[in-house]
Amino acid sequence: MAAPGAGAATAPRRAGTTAWGVAVRVAGTVGRRVLMLVVLLALVFAAVELLPGDAASAAAERGESAADLAERRHLLGLDRPLWERFADWMTALPTGDLGTSARGQEVTELLADPLPNTLILAVSALVLTVVLSLLLGCWAATRPHRLADRLVTHTSTAAFAVPEFVVSAALLLVLSLWTGWLPAVTVTGGDGRPTTWTMLIMPVLALAIPQTGWNTRVVRGALADQAATPHVEAAHLDGLPPHQVMLRHQLPGAVPAIATGIATSTGLLFGGAVVVETLFNYPGIGAVLAGAVAARDTPLIAGVVICAGAVISLVLLAADLIRDATLGARA
Amino acid sequence: MGVTRRQLLWAGSGIGAAGFLAACSGGSDDSRNAGSAGADGKPRPGGTLRVGALGHASAITRDPHGTQTNESDYLVIALVFDTLTIPGAKTNTAPRLSASWESSADLKTWKFTIAEGAKFHDGSPVTAEDVVWSLKRLRNTPSGAARLPGIQAKNISAEGTGTVVVVSDYANADFPLMTRFASFVLKKDTEDSAIEKAPGTGPFKLDWYRNGNARLVRNDDWYGPAVHLDAIEVTMFETPQAMANALIGGQIDLASNAGAVAARTAEAREDIQVLRRPDDMAMPIVMRTAEGSPFADERVREAMRLVVDREAMVKQVLSGYGTVANDIMGTGDPDYAGDIPQRERDVAKAKQLLRDADFDFSRTYELVTTEDIAGLADSATLFANQAGDAGIKIEVVKQESGAFWEKTWKAGDFYTTYWGTNDSVVFYASKTMVSEAGQNEAGWQDAGFDAAYREAISTDEPKRRATALTELQQIEHERSGYLLWGMADGIDLAAAKVQDLPKLAGYGRVQLEGVWLS
Amino acid sequence: MTATVPVAAGRPPRGRRTRRRPRTRTLVLAAVAALPLLLALAGPLIAPHTVDTPVTAPFATAGDGAPLGGDQLGRDVLSRVLHGGTLLVVSALVVAVVTTLTAALVGCAAVLRPRLGRVIERTADIAILLPPLLGIMLIALAWPGGGRRAVIVAAIILGTPYAIRVVAAAASPLATAGYVEAALARGESTAYVALREILPNLRATVLTLFGLRFVEAVYVISMAGFLQIGPQPPASDWSLMVRENASGILLNPWAVIAPSLAIALLAITVNLVTVSLAPDTTAKAVTRP
Repeated sequence: MAAPGAGAATAPRRAGTTAWGVAVRVAGTVGRRVLMLVVLLALVFAAVELLPGDAASAAAERGESAADLAERRHLLGLDRPLWERFADWMTALPTGDLGTSARGQEVTELLADPLPNTLILAVSALVLTVVLSLLLGCWAATRPHRLADRLVTHTSTAAFAVPEFVVSAALLLVLSLWTGWLPAVTVTGGDGRPTTWTMLIMPVLALAIPQTGWNTRVVRGALADQAATPHVEAAHLDGLPPHQVMLRHQLPGAVPAIATGIATSTGLLFGGAVVVETLFNYPGIGAVLAGAVAARDTPLIAGVVICAGAVISLVLLAADLIRDATLGARA
Repeated sequence: MGVTRRQLLWAGSGIGAAGFLAACSGGSDDSRNAGSAGADGKPRPGGTLRVGALGHASAITRDPHGTQTNESDYLVIALVFDTLTIPGAKTNTAPRLSASWESSADLKTWKFTIAEGAKFHDGSPVTAEDVVWSLKRLRNTPSGAARLPGIQAKNISAEGTGTVVVVSDYANADFPLMTRFASFVLKKDTEDSAIEKAPGTGPFKLDWYRNGNARLVRNDDWYGPAVHLDAIEVTMFETPQAMANALIGGQIDLASNAGAVAARTAEAREDIQVLRRPDDMAMPIVMRTAEGSPFADERVREAMRLVVDREAMVKQVLSGYGTVANDIMGTGDPDYAGDIPQRERDVAKAKQLLRDADFDFSRTYELVTTEDIAGLADSATLFANQAGDAGIKIEVVKQESGAFWEKTWKAGDFYTTYWGTNDSVVFYASKTMVSEAGQNEAGWQDAGFDAAYREAISTDEPKRRATALTELQQIEHERSGYLLWGMADGIDLAAAKVQDLPKLAGYGRVQLEGVWLS
Repeated sequence: MTATVPVAAGRPPRGRRTRRRPRTRTLVLAAVAALPLLLALAGPLIAPHTVDTPVTAPFATAGDGAPLGGDQLGRDVLSRVLHGGTLLVVSALVVAVVTTLTAALVGCAAVLRPRLGRVIERTADIAILLPPLLGIMLIALAWPGGGRRAVIVAAIILGTPYAIRVVAAAASPLATAGYVEAALARGESTAYVALREILPNLRATVLTLFGLRFVEAVYVISMAGFLQIGPQPPASDWSLMVRENASGILLNPWAVIAPSLAIALLAITVNLVTVSLAPDTTAKAVTRP
């Protein structure tokens, strides 16, 4: 699982409870996340460098001579050493400058509209996932080993095994092409956003269904774990109604595991977005990325990776903090 | 001949094809098919046309002199800015910002006269200085040498305020043809940073542009014929099927270049018109003719051209939306040699030729292709399958686009290529077949062909030119490195209310200024 | 479903008594799982047509000779579906076997060697920041012509760190178990302790891990295939079919539905079987950080 995975292997952290201690701990967690992001970027930068051809040839046109290509390479700075370009790129980052794409456009500008669009999509899908998986997971957990439980468990297991493009194709056929209920594709207005909210429904569903499958299992499993703890058993013995035991005792204890499960879903949502956005013509960074990889546009790919990586880091960080807070509170 | 080649072929292919072919081959007599046929009234002014065009968010280009790989970007640019000339119906080059042009006797010096009353969107008149500056800017881009072949920047100059003089390094009777696509005119000294909002001279003004999508409004001061639409909204689509789905769902009014499969999906629907622009895209197979290639022997190339089942290719790869071709590039040219007999499939003869040429049947030959355009990889797959009938083993290798253009194109022994400019035989001869051509895809060198080509471009005397062009096409048909099995139609889908849509192939599809809504 | 698949910490097996009942169920379930696998592997033998010869019009609807209609070139959809799973299943199996084996060995060693454990932790932490699909795109494109091999290698590289972490998490309670400490005290080598003392007690975890790795591999490989990384036309491959035929989804829906169903069924059955074979481990797996 996510970062704290090793928790079981190392001694549980019981950092100081003073304000200073908390600050140091938070700073440490943040620092670690930032460092990892930097390492990831270096790796991606190097990997893209290994791709055959480069951005100069990708942006070239038929009939350009070798000399024209060399000039284009020079204009793009591709004739400079790799480490030098990487250093330049990294030092410009804190100012919000993501460099220039192979086609001479500001990467920040290219991503300015798509990133919020993808965030709208991903956050909607994530919220839907959380709500659905909590409901389904709790519902199943209050009926352990009964039909409802098995139904939920098996359905969610099935749901998370199905790739997003299969879900998308099914949704497109059923909800749009055969019935005409929903717009088949996203059309963008002058503000750079989808013109109607109904255009979001199918992409959000396509992303949320597999993730709901996964997280329902996480919730169900975490609640089962909690059910076996002494304080929950004690609550049952005290004669508290099941839904109260669930809300007051089982669920709070399961929060860290659930938070981690949902955090890991974020990365998967970004992966799924590449496919889903292309299929529904949704103007997000997934669609930008698909094109950028084909064009070997290093700065653009790196820009997308840092955006995705930063968002995922934030969510993981939040999960870290939730975990620390709940564990700290119960320690 | 009384019957054109195309009519003959339609009759031929109609037999084998299923019902859908019959439905779409009628073209002219099907009222849903032709925008012009429905135009029984006078054009009605007003309304907004919502157009879908293909493009990738990562490849957005706003510079009119940049490399526009996105059709959506080219469409926006072509409606806001004007080129000197445009593709035409009767002659393959028609006037636009340049009202007329003439050449010196040696066909090296060309003078273009700027259209009367041409103004930029900010009201200032277009001068020769603006055009000279724009052409020089175009020439100085990395791809400038390919876009203005034979022209050096220093040889572009103004003569008075209304005439531009361009001097070519060599005689070139077809130079105006080269100004049809990219010679967009901007105001002199437009800064690179101001390009995106720079005023053009075209039939529409830019209202807004965002991430590939745009809204354009009518330019009431345009020097050309009356523009009917109030506005055009352009939406960029990543895939043709997303675009077709949008049209079927009524989210757009016109799907530009939507492709054959979308057309078949729409054929059954009364509310959608399918427009076919013939001779839109050539997808030839290139066989390297140089020494060392398995296709160096003329007989092997002939055998390959005999082994292909052209009707089947058109039917399966293009869903019937196309025509059979005769291994001559530039099928849309008014001077196309339609009387050269059509090459038909003859597997027995192909086998004989291959045996005569000591062809190595034990080897597996790699046919390299890409997925740059719809149907290209499919055509390679199907051809490989057909060649199996003659005992030729072909393995299709799909390359990623960038690697293909860098490594295989112009160098490989056996690959597919594609071209969107098909209304000029000379265009191909000069660009891809004459010995010294910069993009000689098959590495072909043929003294007879070269002589015919030089004769054709160095004369403007119609008869001599016609004779030379026929000779040129005959040689190309017999010996070149191309196997051109067919031509794909350009296919646009439109809502029933859209009238007078563009009918020309290739870049002609962007000519939306005459469109109106009923 | 990346490797985040938290199969984590199974408890040490509870002894033999829990094994009995599942045995018959195991057989039944194995048979259920084998069916789509068998179909995927043996499909080519029963396909009515070859995969590359057009037998009907492009996207023709179901009719004579082509029970599921034609694809974008008029080839028989049924035959292509029957052919299209073999390589997917084999690739996914390779990925699952290699990843699980590596994870089992390295994971056991990691609990005994804390420094190795930390390296693995950090690697997995970084890997989680890279959406798996993007990782596959980068690795596969960096190795042109790698085709399916590139995707397999990418899936293994990206999946292994998580898998190791899962095994390590499951193994860590054992590292302090009496018999392990005793073995270490006897001066046994790390390899001996890992293989003889720890691994045998992780059977359930490893089995669950293998099943989830397989499902994960099917997912990743078919997503990559959909993005045309790995299998190339004219190969018949389920994910490729979904993509190639998406344009004709209204003309012949089966060209898209049939391969979609095939992928879904394959992934679902294997997944359900995994869960049923080791319900306890999987449930724990999901929750244990």
